[in-house]
Amino acid sequence: MQVFLQTIVGGVSLGAVYALVALGFSLVYRTMGLVNFAHGNVVTVGAYLASTFYLSTKLPFALAMIIAIVVTGAIGLVIERVLRPLENKDFDLMLIGTIGFGIVLDALIIMIWGATGRAVPSPVPTAPIDIFGLRIRTYDLVVLAIAALATVLLVLFLSRTKRGTAMQAVAMDHEAATAVGIHVGRSNATAFMIGAGLAALAGGLVGPLLYVSPALGGALGIKGFAAAILGGFGSIPGAILGGLAIGILDSFTAGHFQGYSELVTFLVFTVIIMVRPTGIFGERTVNRA
Amino acid sequence: MRPTLAVLAVVLAVAAGCSAPGSGKEESGNDSGPIKIAVVDAQSGQLSSLGAWELKGARLAVDEWNAAGGVNGRQIQLDVFDDQGDPTIGTNLARKIDSEGYIAMIGTAESAVTIAMSPLLKQAEIPNITSGQSPGLVATKSDFLFLNGPTSTTYDETLAKHIVDQQGIKSIAMITNNGGYGKGEHDAFLKALTSRNVTPVADQVVTADQKDFSAVLTSIRQKNPKVIFLGAEEVESGLIVKQARDLGITSAFAGAAPQGTPVFLDTAGAKNAEGTIVSSPYLSNDIDEASKKFAAAYKAKFNEEAELHGAKAYDGTQILLTALKTSNVATGKPLADAIRATKHDGLLGDFAFDETGVGIFSTSIGIIKGGKLVAAES
Repeated sequence: MQVFLQTIVGGVSLGAVYALVALGFSLVYRTMGLVNFAHGNVVTVGAYLASTFYLSTKLPFALAMIIAIVVTGAIGLVIERVLRPLENKDFDLMLIGTIGFGIVLDALIIMIWGATGRAVPSPVPTAPIDIFGLRIRTYDLVVLAIAALATVLLVLFLSRTKRGTAMQAVAMDHEAATAVGIHVGRSNATAFMIGAGLAALAGGLVGPLLYVSPALGGALGIKGFAAAILGGFGSIPGAILGGLAIGILDSFTAGHFQGYSELVTFLVFTVIIMVRPTGIFGERTVNRA
Repeated sequence: MRPTLAVLAVVLAVAAGCSAPGSGKEESGNDSGPIKIAVVDAQSGQLSSLGAWELKGARLAVDEWNAAGGVNGRQIQLDVFDDQGDPTIGTNLARKIDSEGYIAMIGTAESAVTIAMSPLLKQAEIPNITSGQSPGLVATKSDFLFLNGPTSTTYDETLAKHIVDQQGIKSIAMITNNGGYGKGEHDAFLKALTSRNVTPVADQVVTADQKDFSAVLTSIRQKNPKVIFLGAEEVESGLIVKQARDLGITSAFAGAAPQGTPVFLDTAGAKNAEGTIVSSPYLSNDIDEASKKFAAAYKAKFNEEAELHGAKAYDGTQILLTALKTSNVATGKPLADAIRATKHDGLLGDFAFDETGVGIFSTSIGIIKGGKLVAAES
């Protein structure tokens, strides 16, 4: 029983990070119908920026995170601006464009920060909480709280603000949205910016849990992408649920299937997707591709 | 018409790309111009810290030789190729360094990549000094493959001797990954334990890029072992130790080369890694005069502390350059024979290669104390 519960606890904390990565994927996808393949690399950039401001300039962790999110959001805007001429003209090229951006970001990361990576000490250095032998890291609780807060803010933004509603409209029917005077380009830019900001949030938060290296985003990107698909690509609650599900699934297969855990995780994932191709929250707002 | 032209252009470009390196081979074969040596290592990806250290060690050795006038008056040209820790990229690079006329190769730091490259390098007769330590390297039976350190068997035999024979600890758990390095460590340490009639209380295998070890560690915690053996690379081992301490595991950890590196220490956190038992041929930078001199030069050049992998690559490169000098810049089989015949008093010990390409057969035991690796009192 203890192993069972501890495994869930371990899975949930990384699951929350996967959920944030999945949110970024889904937000861009629901708005533009585009899979941003540079997303994983943006996560790495966010992780490096946050850890640099935290470790080198000794800023408080929260402030370092905010700067990282702002800078990374700006990178998101740049990516969208460069790809904008292709919007509605050549979708495949746009996809390849995001892959290209991923490679460029990867190279930039190695040029700026080197290839070796760095360990980030936990910003919450208190001992783990012990509940009947079940150990919960305080930092995990911080990660969960921030992930939950980010999700609530995102949902409020999409449903309560004018810009957010405009993005929803573009997601549903971009031609009709254009007809009623919504600037599709600006809406896409906002999606890319928020998506990149979420990536930075995920990267910054995961730094103290893992090890910040150029390879960080690749692993998180794949899991986050799988999480987005599992939850229903484009769905906001789906991304959250998918992220937690992948995290916990991963944690359990690691305990039971040892070296074959990765294989089993993705086999289970494949079976679920075969049974339910649209994911848990089978929402298909976008079908432009 | 246009696609045909495009195809033609591509074919021409490829043909041109192939012919240029071919002519380069002849250039380096003659007695003028620089001696071309390739460093093949991960410069990106999760294993890039290994590649970066190895490159620094090799660079330091080559720069020292170049400053002293090179080999037989010829400068040494050291070029780096990024294998990304990927065996497929490694085999492509093996063909590339062959066609571009490199006469010897330093690297790689990842056994799986070197094993993949070995048959091609053997065929091309390019001697290769690797930093890998998997027994699988010896199993390739290549006359052109040399190890700049001991194999896992040596590391783990020394470790088991210290833990079981000297400390009398029998309650041991194992966590290894299923990558090339981890598999080698698993088999070598298990063999060392079995020969001492010790059965590990847990034998857990993880994947090479696993991030959460809650399940594995919680089941180990219930067994309450005295020592947990780690057979995984620097970062993964560090994460395991960090998560183990968060889960309230107080057992000491033990391992080979990766557990003695600064990356392991940083990832785990110095406090968490305290008491880790390390089997390594290069415990610290102030063991003797040679290591002090090496560490000072390393620090001056790269502004960071030297460690095992840099020292191994430095030794390996010194051996290669010495062999080039004694063989009068030979290539192919004569160069491999010259390397095998080279006796080198290096940072890791006295190198004397046997027919399997291994030159060092001992390691020492160190303990991490106060964030530093110090020699164990035995």
